[in-house]
Amino acid sequence: MKKIFFALTLILGFGLLSYAGDKINILTSTSDLKSIAEFIGGDKVTVDSLGKGYQDPHFIDAKPSFMIKAKKADLFIVVGLELEIGYEELIIDGSRNPKIRFGQIGYLDVSNGASLLEIPTTKIDRSMGDVHPMGNPHYWLDPMNAKVIAFNIANRLSELSPDDEFYFKENLNKFNKKIDEKFAEWAEKLNPFNGKKIAVYHRSWPYFADRFGLDIACELEPKPGIPPSPGHLKDVIQKMRDENIKVILMEVFYDEKPARFVAEQTGAKLAIVPNSVGGTKEAKDYFSLIDAIVEKLAEAFSL
Amino acid sequence: MKKVYIFLFVFFVLGRCVFAGDMQKNNSDIDDLKNEIEQLKLQFQEMKANYESKINQLETKIAGLQEASPKIESTQIAQVSKPAEGRFFQNFNPDISVIGDFTFHGTDKKDDEQYNQFKMRQAELAFSAPVDSYARADLFMHIEPDGEEWGIGLCEGYITLLELPVPGLQAKVGKFKANFGKVNRMHLHSLPWVDYPNMLTNFFGEEGMSQPGISASYLVPNPWDNYIELTLEAMNNHNSSVFAGSEGRDLVYIAHLKNFFDINEESAIELGGSFATGPNDDGHGKNRTNIEGIDLTYKWKPLKEGLYKSFVFQNEILFCQKDNVGDEELGVKQIDSWGVYSSAQYQFAKRWSVFGRYDFSEFPDSANNCDYAYSVGMTFNQSEYCFWRLQFKRTDRNYSKDSNEIWLQCNFGLGPHRKHEF
Repeated sequence: MKKIFFALTLILGFGLLSYAGDKINILTSTSDLKSIAEFIGGDKVTVDSLGKGYQDPHFIDAKPSFMIKAKKADLFIVVGLELEIGYEELIIDGSRNPKIRFGQIGYLDVSNGASLLEIPTTKIDRSMGDVHPMGNPHYWLDPMNAKVIAFNIANRLSELSPDDEFYFKENLNKFNKKIDEKFAEWAEKLNPFNGKKIAVYHRSWPYFADRFGLDIACELEPKPGIPPSPGHLKDVIQKMRDENIKVILMEVFYDEKPARFVAEQTGAKLAIVPNSVGGTKEAKDYFSLIDAIVEKLAEAFSL
Repeated sequence: MKKVYIFLFVFFVLGRCVFAGDMQKNNSDIDDLKNEIEQLKLQFQEMKANYESKINQLETKIAGLQEASPKIESTQIAQVSKPAEGRFFQNFNPDISVIGDFTFHGTDKKDDEQYNQFKMRQAELAFSAPVDSYARADLFMHIEPDGEEWGIGLCEGYITLLELPVPGLQAKVGKFKANFGKVNRMHLHSLPWVDYPNMLTNFFGEEGMSQPGISASYLVPNPWDNYIELTLEAMNNHNSSVFAGSEGRDLVYIAHLKNFFDINEESAIELGGSFATGPNDDGHGKNRTNIEGIDLTYKWKPLKEGLYKSFVFQNEILFCQKDNVGDEELGVKQIDSWGVYSSAQYQFAKRWSVFGRYDFSEFPDSANNCDYAYSVGMTFNQSEYCFWRLQFKRTDRNYSKDSNEIWLQCNFGLGPHRKHEF
């Protein structure tokens, strides 16, 4: 009799607990994809990202603990364009999760349909530095591309959970509407600086610059991924003086010393910004990420 | 105890009743929801009709524009969407890479065959790709000097079965480096030093233990959600240092348990335990060798400064019990010997790091002979694909002359080469 009671309580107990409902478990490579996936998925998803916004997304280590996260994922979302080439395969293979393998419904490259820049039209090789053969991967920094990312995520989530298609599409509409509203604000803030030249540390800003009418005139890295050399910095300083370039834009995870040196020599202002959600504590989601970049830039131009 | 069960039973039954009561309340909520859904459906159909009409208008516009300037659009479309011409099946070619390793070796040990010589130590040729939807294959060939000649050998060549009926299980068959400890699996170009630790070369030979065999690894589920991987392997017992060499007619069995914990987002520890056992002669077990190993690695990399700073503390210890019953010269029934290394590497700038390593190692056939060695060095990463390294090593031997050695190493790679494990 005792055993029957015990068994029944266990069964009923688990029965109660299991009514929690199943959410789609999403793992993303970057924190920006995490933020957008959270907007689209709402309370139908749980989302985690491999990268933190304050680290260089090219160099995420394929730690075994990431393989455990990937093991549990229903959907693995990547930026693509070989941004994740250093760790993606190791993590997917190590996870032993067949759902998220390349080509499966649980693997989503959100670059599909994005408006891409710097697609090489000539032969490329490693002498050109860290050049991506399918285009510059930093496309999430154009808010219009964020709509494409959101659209791709909404579509894939609808395939994974057709019953929730209305919900995801409604969230997509809300996201797009907010992008349009915020874009008007951002454009207005940067409008006074339309056409102005800026210097950047790494070749990660063409999408942002194109969208907001800024002209990237020079890079502190002699080639993408190659650290600034004294000879190259001398040329940059000369160019900035000649062309009256007054702002240097760089990410939080690069060494400030070369940029500060150039700023001192040219009288330019240094705008150190996040390029991903979480890069600074202000950049809590995609919208506040662009807010933070726009604010810092506007401030640097105005000083 | 009976009262406790009754209490629990009543508690859960009441819970279910409240839940059932909620269910009744939910029924009217469900009706409300159904009405909402109907309304949403109507709204969606309106929206759909609206968008369809807009799309039709846009399509008409585009058709109009295309008539106006067909040449420009068709060239643009050709540039954007036309696939590359050529032999399409070459898209399925594997990733091919070649990694060259060059050293200058200076030493005061005059009988060293590498006494003050340049050496092209190795060219590693690697081919990697998915075989089909179930497996991937990796093959690594080494081109190495053999006196004045050059030889090519298969360092590793194996197929990894990625999808097996048991979740969390992977297997591989082929020739591969045994999953014993940590350094045995490392390729020359991925070492943080110029040379392999004495523990490895004394017990497993110049490049470690690598034989044809089978391997299965399983991610062990655990309540802490840590990475715990159990690997079981069987391979030929042809390793000539600890097992039977070419006389071997049996198998070595190897077990390795790898535990990986994130301490926080910056630091992690890997703790591994290994065991290997097999006959060390042409027989089937009268003379056995048993080997036990423990590996402990600590890694630190602050995420924000991760391009510029990191630290690795890597240690391994190995114990060997080798039977030599029947070998009258050595005169003992079992030789117990051991070896250890401890290494620290610190990256202090984007492309620069320094390291120090301590080695102590006996030999599998002798617990009386041993090496003590101390190495220091510096590595310059010219880029992700090429590094230069300077290493100084002092070795004290009680069976032969001590030596001081210095190396300048240059390691360079072409082509896509998947990073080896973290």
